[in-house]
Order: sequence, then C-alpha cells, then structure tokens
Amino acid sequence: MMHDLPILDELRLRFGKDSAQIEETRDDIPTISTNKASVLPLLRFLKEDTDQPYRMLFDMTAIDERNRTTRPMDASNEFTAVYTLFSFDRNQDLRVKVPLASDDLLLPSITSIWPSANWYEREIWDMFGIRFNGHPYLRRLLMPKSWEGHPLRKDHPARATEMTPYELEEEDEQTEQDLLKFSPEEWGMQRTHDQVEYMFLNLGPAHTGTHGILRLVVQLAGEQIVDIVPDIGFHHRAAEKMGERQTWHTYIPYTDRIDYLGGVMNELPYLLAVERLAGIRVPARAQVIRVMLAELFRIASHLVWYGTFAQDVGQLSPVFYMFTDRERVFHIIEAITGGRMHPGWFRIGGVAHDLPQGWEHLVREFLEYLPPRLNEYDDLVLGNRIFQARTKGVGRYTTQEAMDWGVTGPGLRATGFSWDFRKTQPYSGYEQFDFEVPTATNGDCYDRGLVRVEEMRQSLRIIEQCLNQMPEGPTKADHALTTPPDKARTLHDIETLIQHFLAVSWGPRIPAGEVMAKVEATKGCNAYYLISDGAPWPYRVRIRTPSFPHIQMVPSISKGHLLSDLLAILGSVDFVLADVDR
Amino acid sequence: MHRDRVSPNNQESAETHQADENTDRNRLRLLEADGYQEAVRRVIVLARLQDLLAWGRKNSLWPFNFGLSCCYIEMATSLTSRYDIARFGSEVVRGSPRQADVIVIAGTVFRKMAPIIKRLYEQMMEPRWVISMGSCANSGGMYDVYSVVQGVDKFLPVDVYVPGCPPAPHTLMEGLLLLQEAVGSERRPLSWVLGPEHIKRPILPARRDLARESRQQARTFPGMDTVAWYSSKDQGPR
Repeated sequence: MMHDLPILDELRLRFGKDSAQIEETRDDIPTISTNKASVLPLLRFLKEDTDQPYRMLFDMTAIDERNRTTRPMDASNEFTAVYTLFSFDRNQDLRVKVPLASDDLLLPSITSIWPSANWYEREIWDMFGIRFNGHPYLRRLLMPKSWEGHPLRKDHPARATEMTPYELEEEDEQTEQDLLKFSPEEWGMQRTHDQVEYMFLNLGPAHTGTHGILRLVVQLAGEQIVDIVPDIGFHHRAAEKMGERQTWHTYIPYTDRIDYLGGVMNELPYLLAVERLAGIRVPARAQVIRVMLAELFRIASHLVWYGTFAQDVGQLSPVFYMFTDRERVFHIIEAITGGRMHPGWFRIGGVAHDLPQGWEHLVREFLEYLPPRLNEYDDLVLGNRIFQARTKGVGRYTTQEAMDWGVTGPGLRATGFSWDFRKTQPYSGYEQFDFEVPTATNGDCYDRGLVRVEEMRQSLRIIEQCLNQMPEGPTKADHALTTPPDKARTLHDIETLIQHFLAVSWGPRIPAGEVMAKVEATKGCNAYYLISDGAPWPYRVRIRTPSFPHIQMVPSISKGHLLSDLLAILGSVDFVLADVDR
Repeated sequence: MHRDRVSPNNQESAETHQADENTDRNRLRLLEADGYQEAVRRVIVLARLQDLLAWGRKNSLWPFNFGLSCCYIEMATSLTSRYDIARFGSEVVRGSPRQADVIVIAGTVFRKMAPIIKRLYEQMMEPRWVISMGSCANSGGMYDVYSVVQGVDKFLPVDVYVPGCPPAPHTLMEGLLLLQEAVGSERRPLSWVLGPEHIKRPILPARRDLARESRQQARTFPGMDTVAWYSSKDQGPR
C-alpha cells in the first residue's frame, strides 16, 4: 500500500530511482532512505515545490546503529539521520532517512529551508557528534560547554554512577561560571549600531519569569528587544538515554516527567507506540479511562498556565483561584490513581486498575463545579482591561510562520488554523467523542489564552461523555505482552510460572520494528518514535516534544517588543522546561 | 523562657489592662493578692537573647523563589489557598538570595545547573538553611543518569530531606516544620566577642525511625476499590 504513494513516484522521477528507497516500518508513515547528496534538494522539493507540500519539519533526530542486531544484511552505516516531515494538506507524515558512516558524519544544514532545523541540528551535533555544513552556530545545545563526548552515542556512559563521582570545587564552579559568560561576538551580534549602544541583559536560568530554568540573553536598545539568544539544556534529564536502559514497562514513569504538568497525558503517546509495535488492542473501557484522565490533566495543566500567565502580566490573585481548582482535579486523580502529578497509571495494554467505586460522584461534582468558575475567570482575567492591553497584539505570528517553526497545539490554533490531532488523526477512541476545536484569529498572546480557556470547556465536555458513557468490560487487553502480566496465566505449570516470572522481572520483549505515535498533548503535539530490537528494552527512544520548537520561536516573535512584553510572550507560549530539554 | 508564651501573653496583658484601668484600687488589689508575681508574669517577658533570636528565626523562615523542576510546582502549590504555608510564616517568597533564609532545592539537580545553584547558595546571607525537596535532590532519585548530580548534598549542606516524587505540598510543609524545630533549638553565637563561636545544633532523629513502630502496627489499609472520601464539599482542607 505504502509503495503506491504518488509522492514516492514523484520523488523517483525527479531525483532518480536510488534517491528514495522505501523502508518498512510498523507504523503507516511512509519511510524513505536517501543519500547525502540529494537530501537538501529533496527536502526543499517536498516543502516548496510539490503539490500539497510537507510544510512542517515535525521532528529531526539521529540513531546510533552500531549495536543494533535486527537490521537488513546490507546495511553498513553506523549512524542514521531521520527527518520527519508533516503535510497538513495530506494529513500525512513522511520520514526521510539518511545513512551515515562514522568516518564521515557530515550533512548539509537545512536551516535555509526550515528555521526550526537550527536547534534540531545543534541537538544532533551535541548528542551524536554529527556535523552540519552551513549551520550558522553549530555548538552544544543541551550539554554544558565543558562536556566531553556525545551522550546518545552507544559508547557514552548512561549512568552517573558509571562515571567519575561528581565534585564541585571552587575552581570548577568558577570555570563553569566563566563558560556561561555571554559574548555577543560569538553569536554574530553587534554591541553598538547607529550610535545606539545595546545592552545585553541576562534573564535566568534562575528567574521567576522564565517558568523554570531557562536562560535568555536579551539584546536591548533601551527597553526594546533587538534579539534574544536562548540558552537551554539546564533541565536536560536524559530521558531518551534512559529509555535505552529501562524496560518497556519501567520506562512509563519517566514519560510522566517530560511535560510534568501533563501527567498521564505523556504516557499515552509512548504506550500507543508500544502497543502498535506489539499489536495490542486496548479494550474500550481502558481507552475511555485513559481519555478521561488525560483530559483532566489537560485542564490541570491549563489551570496552571492560566494562573501563572495572569501573574506574569501583573495579576497576583487569579493564581490562587486556579491552583485551588487544580486541587479539585487532583482530588479526582488521587482518588483514582493514588498519585498527584505523576500517577504512572497507564500500562501496556490498558490501565493499572479499574476505577474505584464512587468515582462517578467525584467527576460529576467537578463537572458542576468548574464551568461557573471559568465564567468568573473570563471576567477576572480575560475581560480585564490591563490584561488585554498587555497581551493583545503582542507576540503575533501567522499560520505560515507557525508551520515553519514547527508550532502545534493552541499556539497553532490561535492563528486561525483549525488543527487538532484528536480530530485529524484520532487515537484512543477520540473519534467517538463530540467536541469542538477552538480557534482564534490574531495569533497573539491574548488569542493563545482564549484558545486554551475554551479548550478547558471542551475537555469538560469530553469528560462528561466519558462519565455518561463509560463502557463496561476489562481494563487491560488480553494479550501476552501486557504489563504486568495476567496473574490468571500463571500457576498452571512450571512453564507458565517461568513465563510469568520473566515477564514480571524483565518485562515483555516487544517485537522488533520502528513506530511513531503522536497525541495532542497539553502544549501541542507530543510524539514518541520508538525503535525496538526485540529486546526487553527499546533500542532508541526519541521524544518529540512541543515545547522545544515553541521556545525556539520566541526570539523571532519578540523582536521589536518591549522587555516587559517578553514575559507576556513566554507566559502565552506555555512551555515546560522538562518538555524543552527532556 | 518558654518560647510559646511571647505572643499570647502580650495580648492577655492588654485585655487585663483595659478591664482594670478604672481604679487604682483594683490594680493594687491585684498586686497584693495572688497576684504580684502573676501580674509581673503577664507583662514582662524574660528571655535570653539567644532564645529570643532563635524564636524569631524559627517563625519567619523566608524561602528563596527558586525551583528546578516538577517539585517546584508542588512547592508553589504549598503557597496557595488550600495549603497556605503562610500559617507557618514562610509565605514571604524572596526573589533575591540575599533576602532569603532558606533555599528549597525543588527538583532535579542537573550537572549544567549545579554551579549556578552553588553560586546562589553562596549569595544567601548567614544564617541560611537548605531543604532538599524530592527524590532527585535527595539522591538523584530515579535519574541515575549522566546529566544529573546524585543528590544536592554532593556540594551543599542539607538540613532537611523531604521524600517524594514530587512530595505533596503538605509533605513539604512537614519538612518546613521539622526545619523550624531545628532552627528554634539551634544556638548561634551572638557575636564573635561573646561566648563560644560554634553553632550548637540538635541532632534530630530520622522520621523513619520514629514512625517505624506505628507503621508496623498498621493492619488495615484503604483498598483501591472504593473512593475513601465521597464529596470534596464535606472533606475540607486535607
């Protein structure tokens, strides 16, 4: 089926038969392998010249293939670069792979095609040591300047306890502080222009307005922003490397902590990908429980955003209201899962446990409680004249710019483009729910807020449908690879006992293959690209997070605004640093 | 001095004063009867300066507005209405390390961030305290990985460790109360010319050891099958 895609014929016709070799994957994303020489024109063609173009560079990463056991016999490359493109017109992804030999880790930079490639290429250099020809500032992105080695290479240690124990002597501290000093010349920035002397203001990494440990160096002409250099990686928790050593099952809690306001929402794309690889069909009740909890977390996340955003632009009281409401959400989450922020509640093939007796009462009470509160907040926050003055017309971007920068989620919908992966590529049974996709028109800070507020109301609608139409039945698939394995299968004979023991201690061996699954998470599109070698743990875990491209875009939408607007812009983008740095 | 007497006593004496100010006779009677000592006790506070300072420090631990990751959200939640850390005098969040008494290491201590955390700590004025919040800051937690320091105590002295991933707001508040207990009973030199120069700090027992017996006694556990509470209306603040 995949071989018949017209785009592949088009590519072969234009770039020669060898330029686009088809690769088999376990998802329905067409995957082609091309060579170094044709990657740049090929990608440019896909974005600019074909009908129904692939406008968005959805993700870009690399794979260290050296330890992989399940590969085609003729594959000899040690590294592979992977570009994932997305076409809104076709509602389709396209994966382009470029094999690389370890003695020639060099690729042409595609920053001239997509501005968002800038950070992706720096990340790949940082993590894999693959260089990009023509990149304006190819230097480390996530690791500190003083770091040696490329962490996602298979020969780099994973554990801190495998490395020399960490020490911080006075001179180390001084060296690191010196390395953090900002030099405008390094970034091609001028210190003066037209008799204006620029000021370079350091914001963060410990700053209350940056919502976490993010550092921004702002070039200012008076109060006006000329340019910004973001410095990220302070929150790099090595989630991708962690995936290569945790079992498929024990990696689930790590996903919770990627977008740490999203809770179980993060588990969903990971499990959708694993279940796809394993061929597990999740029963209806488990799907609806997943949707309900995910939507509750969307509300919890948006409430944190709502309160802190209002605080960013000077309203000090709303955050107290919204955090109180968030406690109401956690009241339900706690009753069902026992946890608050990171329940780790979903399992391969379903959820951990059935809903407790009395859950309906809690959910119904919340559904009655929140709508009038949201109406009140409309007056309190959105209707406030000062709030509007601080946010309307600030940090505007168009749909086209959003696509160029890889923006998804409320930030994309605020530009007037109605795109929600729950509608366009439904997963976990979202096609059965009745809800609307809120949009706005101006793409400014205020509109991004407007979209999120309306999204909370839509989430309530979804939760109400979950409540009224919760199907009966099992909460875990009847499949050998689900975790934890079914107890009923054990204790028959020694064989079942051994199988159960292995499945509990090591976890399941997920069949070999590659797959990507994405969801409409709280901040935008979150996707997991998993490669299995048939081992009890993944060979490679790639996490495509929404906050990463969103933060990369901040400098371009802040230029010309005042410094105080920057905080409004940061608040309106709604990012989580763990979601940026992973 | 009994530390808890300071504030209630002042209030009481004000009331007494108002009731009895009509006549001097009343006042005299109070002095003569069971009262001379009682009257003095009500209006005069005798304390050693050291104790008074410790009492003051204990009840006004101002935290530095500093967070690293997930734990910070729960730390911020402890400031909001449901938990209201203001009850314990710690709502005065300071934006500058120079004005803060306590730094809560709320979250994962990253290798890239560690020199900055150290610098911020050094910028705090003495006396200063450190609460390590959550598994990552305590020991690296579930992140035994190249970019994470295996516990903030690798380079900072920690006063209280709060367990959890992340600890719920009320757990952090328990940690704060423990710190208050330590700070209140800690004795610091008043000046470099008066008395010994070292800080006398009580050794507090580990909570795990204190709770062990009652935990071993526990026989009934709430199951996962029913909601333990039914309505958030009659539940009140938990």
